[in-house]
Amino acid sequence: MTENVLKLVDMGIRFGGLNALDGLNLSVNKGEIVAIIGPNGAGKTTAFNCITGIYTPTSGMIEYLGKSIVGEEPSQITKKGIARTFQNIRLFKELSVFENVLIAMHLRYNDNIFTSTFRLNINKEKEMREETKRLLDSQDLYKYRNDIAGSLPYGIQRRLEIARALATRPTLLLLDEPAAGMNPQETMDLTSYIKEIRDKFGLTILLIEHHMDLVMDISERIYVIDFGKLIAEGSAKEVQNNPRVIEAYLGVDGDA
Amino acid sequence: MLKINYKEKINVNLLIYLAIIIVSSAILIYLDMNKFQYNYAISIIEKSLVYAVVALSMNIVTGFTGLFSLGQAGFMALGAYTTAILTIPVASRANVYYMNGILPVLENAVLPIPIALIIGGIVAAIFAALIGIPVLRLKSDYLAIATLGFSEIIRAVIASPMMDKITNGSYGLKSIPGFNSSLECFIYSLICIVIMILIINSSTGRDFKAIREDEIAARAVGIDLFKTKELSFVVSSFFTGVGGGLLAMFMRSIDSKTFQITLTYDILLIVVLGGIGSITGSIIGAFFVTAGKELLRFFDEPFAVAGVDIPLFRPGFRMVIFSILLMIVVLFFRKGLLGGNELTIRHLKKFRRKKNLDVAGGAV
Repeated sequence: MTENVLKLVDMGIRFGGLNALDGLNLSVNKGEIVAIIGPNGAGKTTAFNCITGIYTPTSGMIEYLGKSIVGEEPSQITKKGIARTFQNIRLFKELSVFENVLIAMHLRYNDNIFTSTFRLNINKEKEMREETKRLLDSQDLYKYRNDIAGSLPYGIQRRLEIARALATRPTLLLLDEPAAGMNPQETMDLTSYIKEIRDKFGLTILLIEHHMDLVMDISERIYVIDFGKLIAEGSAKEVQNNPRVIEAYLGVDGDA
Repeated sequence: MLKINYKEKINVNLLIYLAIIIVSSAILIYLDMNKFQYNYAISIIEKSLVYAVVALSMNIVTGFTGLFSLGQAGFMALGAYTTAILTIPVASRANVYYMNGILPVLENAVLPIPIALIIGGIVAAIFAALIGIPVLRLKSDYLAIATLGFSEIIRAVIASPMMDKITNGSYGLKSIPGFNSSLECFIYSLICIVIMILIINSSTGRDFKAIREDEIAARAVGIDLFKTKELSFVVSSFFTGVGGGLLAMFMRSIDSKTFQITLTYDILLIVVLGGIGSITGSIIGAFFVTAGKELLRFFDEPFAVAGVDIPLFRPGFRMVIFSILLMIVVLFFRKGLLGGNELTIRHLKKFRRKKNLDVAGGAV
């Protein structure tokens, strides 16, 4: 029996008169890699923002490991084990690579201002630094540790963002267009990288992606959203041959 | 070879800081021993030290957490009045409050100076915690306007007749015990500055910086945005309050006019000039601005060349010169003198190396 990690039931969100998402049903099981695809403006990132608590959905349910997380603060949701990356990379740009990951370690080492100011947490701090070092090492980023995050090449920034998400020790990792702006070779590397971290860290992965090669290659299941509504779901093959998906992506016959 | 020796680096810096502290104390002791000769220098140094404390505390919230707050003068007023009320000698109280009398509770409430300063800080921190709840939900300029308004409210309340028996209303407070020596001022300031540096470099300080860099990303890695902002605001205000107490001790008499918006601007100037997000920048900036304003007094005196008075040299001219200097700094060092960096041995070395490289590059 596969364990359910994330479940959206009839989730919807309205911004004024606009139904950004409407009646979205989606479920992700433990260890799966699931993709959400859809044309631009379909509401994919909005769905991510709802799951991570940046937006509160106006209707429906979000269950994580069987418990509702609707209305919780993003930081609380991260503590529960949902980490994410962003479509337009959001690093702590002026801080070093090491600090970027170190900050993400904080949430596992609860500290307060007194213990941290007067260095009573020296052992925790040491442990955190060691762990950061190990993580950076394993992600092949250790050589950049003293570099300012914003100065790194694009591809490295993407990897750093994933490393930072991993530092929060997530169960569920949400990747928002991880291959955006990558060339085919980099995309292929990323494909194997995503599988690798899934196995190594025991993750469940939900991703948004436009690179169909990557999506078709790694996703066990695919959800297709258009205009805030789910229009198809299933394996890569099923989705590829679904007339509604073809319509959403290519337009109806006669349009051209 | 992968291992970097953090410890060694820290120790070298620590030794240098210790050396600076010892040398500064020695100089101050020398100045204190010849008090009458160096009266003017001592007062500049004391004022700079106090401003350094307040500027650094403002930098915590503005430079390191990225919250643009302009409530400095208000929090300083709270700290200054609290310290003053708790330290004015009982014998002088009747004299200070000769117009309206003093609240009976406060009549004999005298505490040792360090405790009074801490209570001053706590009062400022409590107010910060309360107004932080609504105000910290605002962003950038809105936050600045809200805190500015708060600061003016504090000032107005202090001067209001209802507060006569506590703050002595518009008459202000005098006979505040000052510093016995500049060394005393140095020690108080040093303790504040060291604690603030420890906070900035701690894991809590890293959370502050994460918020400054990107609020959404900070939340995504599990930082409680509101709690951390509130913490930064409260800590900053605590030290601003203590700084206000120190200012009261430096000035020995205060009234509500001392804490006008111009005071906040003075502090902001130091922070911007030294470099937003730079600890050493704030400290150097405090000395630069305070001493600069005084040293330029030369321009306020009439100045004659060959018996002809140069027309511009008259009172007020130094502020023109000072403003021009400021503009030059802002134009050519857009990020302040240190621009978010710290002045450490490592950076000095790096700077030198870079310069050498530039020279080498030019030769090719």
